[in-house]
Amino acid sequence: MRCQRARKWMTAAVDGELAPRRRRALDAHLAACAACRRELAVTERMLTALEGLPMEAAVSARLEQATLRRVRLAAADEAERAPASRWTRWLPLPAFALATAAVLVLAIGIVRRTGQVPGAPAVRPAPKLDARGVAQAPPSLLRPPRRFAKLPTEPPAKLAEAPDLFVDMSIIRNLDKLTHFEAIQTTTLDDEPATPDGLEPPSNG
Amino acid sequence: MKRRAAIALVLLALAAPAVRAQERHGRPWQELTPEEQWRAWENYQRYQQLPEQRQKNLERRYQQFRDMPPQERQRLRQNYDTYRGLPPRQRQEFIDKYHRWKGRK
Repeated sequence: MRCQRARKWMTAAVDGELAPRRRRALDAHLAACAACRRELAVTERMLTALEGLPMEAAVSARLEQATLRRVRLAAADEAERAPASRWTRWLPLPAFALATAAVLVLAIGIVRRTGQVPGAPAVRPAPKLDARGVAQAPPSLLRPPRRFAKLPTEPPAKLAEAPDLFVDMSIIRNLDKLTHFEAIQTTTLDDEPATPDGLEPPSNG
Repeated sequence: MKRRAAIALVLLALAAPAVRAQERHGRPWQELTPEEQWRAWENYQRYQQLPEQRQKNLERRYQQFRDMPPQERQRLRQNYDTYRGLPPRQRQEFIDKYHRWKGRK
């Protein structure tokens, strides 16, 4: 067996989806190929780490705000350090920020008096400027969280047809492990020494 | 009396395919909670990245899962919770045991 084929079968082997005959062929190749053993160990670690990831990360609104503020400040610092163009080099930053704010206030005043801007889909509130004159993202862009914003209004046909397949996909992926969970837990690893990859050691005879 | 029984039979006949479809495919999208809809959407995107063979495998396993009695499905869910709760080292040990167990089968 060539390494290319062995690597193609590795993910299926880690998931326990490889047919016994292929598994034996792969094991034979792995016994002789250190590079593929390393590759298998990496695949196993990666899949284990992926399975260990929480389905979602709970981040408080306060932390989210603080992080965004830090990003904006860092971006502003970076912009200050970057070489300015000829005309902005002589323009002090606070004055520029004030001028921008004045234009924004004027624009909002006009919009409020005349109603919605023609052709514009919606009017957003003027962005707040922080102490450094950097515009802050309005709260409407931060809430609801992005993950809810990404949800389609109409699910694709496949998803609409069998949503539970996707809700329970982690369980379904590990169906074999979970069905025989107790038997697997009682399996001992001590009687036959295994390699760090969890594979049978190569036979010398 | 006969008429009522006939109506009931017709209604049953009409409802049966829908019930069978729900048994086969689970709940409709609208019945999922927002959290479940989100999880399903994310997993659907992952699913789309998989090779066709793996997609088919997942669908086959899903049917196996659907065909299980509710108690068995519940047992699997509990096992999954236990598995997810394992610390990384124990989880790795479990995977090693799984390969060993699979090799002995």
